Amino acid sequence: MLTVLLVDDDAEFTDVACTIIEFLGHEVLTASTLAEARDWLSKETFDHILLDFMLPDGSGLHLMESLQPEQQTRVTLITGHPSVKGIIKDMCGPNIDYLVKPIQREDLESVLKGKKQPANKRTTAAITKHFGQLIGESAPMQELYKLIGRVSKTKANVMLLGESGVGKEVVAAAIHEASECEGTYVATNCGAFSKELIGSELFGHEKGAFTGAVGRKEGVFEQAENGTLFLDEITEMPIDMQPNLLRVLENKVVIRVGGTKAMPVNCRVVSATNRNMEEIAESKVLREDIYFRLAVFPITIPPLRERKEDIPLLAEYFINQLNEENDSQFRWQAVQLEKLQTYDWPGNVRELRHFVHRAAIMSDPQGTDIELPKTIESPFAKKQTLSTGLKAGRTIEEVEKELIYATLEKVDGNKTTAAEMLGISTKTLYNRLHAYGDLNSDSE
Amino acid sequence: MDEGEFAQLQKAVHDARRPLNRITMQSELIKLALEGAVPPDKAMAALDKIIAGCKDCSDSLSDMVAGFSPNNNDAGSSIE
Repeated sequence: MLTVLLVDDDAEFTDVACTIIEFLGHEVLTASTLAEARDWLSKETFDHILLDFMLPDGSGLHLMESLQPEQQTRVTLITGHPSVKGIIKDMCGPNIDYLVKPIQREDLESVLKGKKQPANKRTTAAITKHFGQLIGESAPMQELYKLIGRVSKTKANVMLLGESGVGKEVVAAAIHEASECEGTYVATNCGAFSKELIGSELFGHEKGAFTGAVGRKEGVFEQAENGTLFLDEITEMPIDMQPNLLRVLENKVVIRVGGTKAMPVNCRVVSATNRNMEEIAESKVLREDIYFRLAVFPITIPPLRERKEDIPLLAEYFINQLNEENDSQFRWQAVQLEKLQTYDWPGNVRELRHFVHRAAIMSDPQGTDIELPKTIESPFAKKQTLSTGLKAGRTIEEVEKELIYATLEKVDGNKTTAAEMLGISTKTLYNRLHAYGDLNSDSE
Repeated sequence: MDEGEFAQLQKAVHDARRPLNRITMQSELIKLALEGAVPPDKAMAALDKIIAGCKDCSDSLSDMVAGFSPNNNDAGSSIE
């Protein structure tokens, strides 16, 4: 909040301007003459003076002599005379600005914000968002950008592989952005739909196709016409639905559920899974023919622990975002950024983002210091402690199973919370438990 | 137009811009009222002030035209 002195002899203008300045969250006092303004300056300290150029007892410029240089008061001269603008501009020092009447709310907002804007803008501008989406300058990310750049020039389907939280959806959006295609970007999660509904979600349905199909619905393939379709958690798609998907990918036509007409579709399919290639092959969650159709160009997104040099950049970006949203001024200290780099972030960028958010909530909103907890811990850290006891020879599936049961134990069997902690959908968790043969129908 | 006439014109424009500034600010106040940040009755008063401001502006322009009319030998004297 700033303390503002508004010096203008137009009572109607000062009355409205006061309302607006107060709405902007500042305290405002008024003076209609130079004498009154001088009187206020002898009694109060102001952060900002809005000063009319022409006052009944002389030019507003005379007030400058009454300002104490050590007080760093910012001055904005208000003039109704555009020709005066040039003169003021020439004499404008770092603390003097000008506004030409008629003035709008945004003009007042901008001059009163003038003090802190440059700092925010500098830090935000320093962080490059590659393809308008991705942050990171490390070697693994440069390699990723190269792959995105190459594949975007083609129409090839892409499969994104990477741990939970690495930003698969962000990479999919980056591919769409880089492709400069006409159509839209449509994202859907194959693990989020029941076997009965996934056909309708993907291919659409005709009115009356099934109970509840009260109208015709476009599927995601149609919605993404000439654009990009992102199929997240593709390995969670029921295996018996996969031939239908294969047919669409091969023939590039879609038939709505309950329909007969084949409609041509034209979109790039970007699919994603948090399983690696070996696991996909071994676990048989994805048909081989589908895999080769989807993974024409597979891209593995590096986990955050393999690009730790990007952590300060990401932390900076997230805190700047929060500063903008909440009008706060938080700044990282070098030692804090170093601390963030020592952690492995098993939940990857998602975990880092949530951690920064939590730290910002815990910190004093009026200050600039960010309060970090003494230790960085998350449910995902369990994955790390487990891995220290691992020995070669065990399969990924065994370790995954152990992690799932350890998490369930920790949350007293609550599957929704466990799925959240594990960074997978509840549907995925149920699928895994089914596969382990440890879930009977009444527990669902 | 000589220097004296130009100075008079500048002053006339300056005076006309004053009601325009009031109109702009009153409009901003109405926007705030629509956003619910100030009471609605302030918006009603602001609209009246906008109407008054438009009349002031119109008067200023009429004075300006009269002041710079070829029939007026002392250009600008009537807009003091």
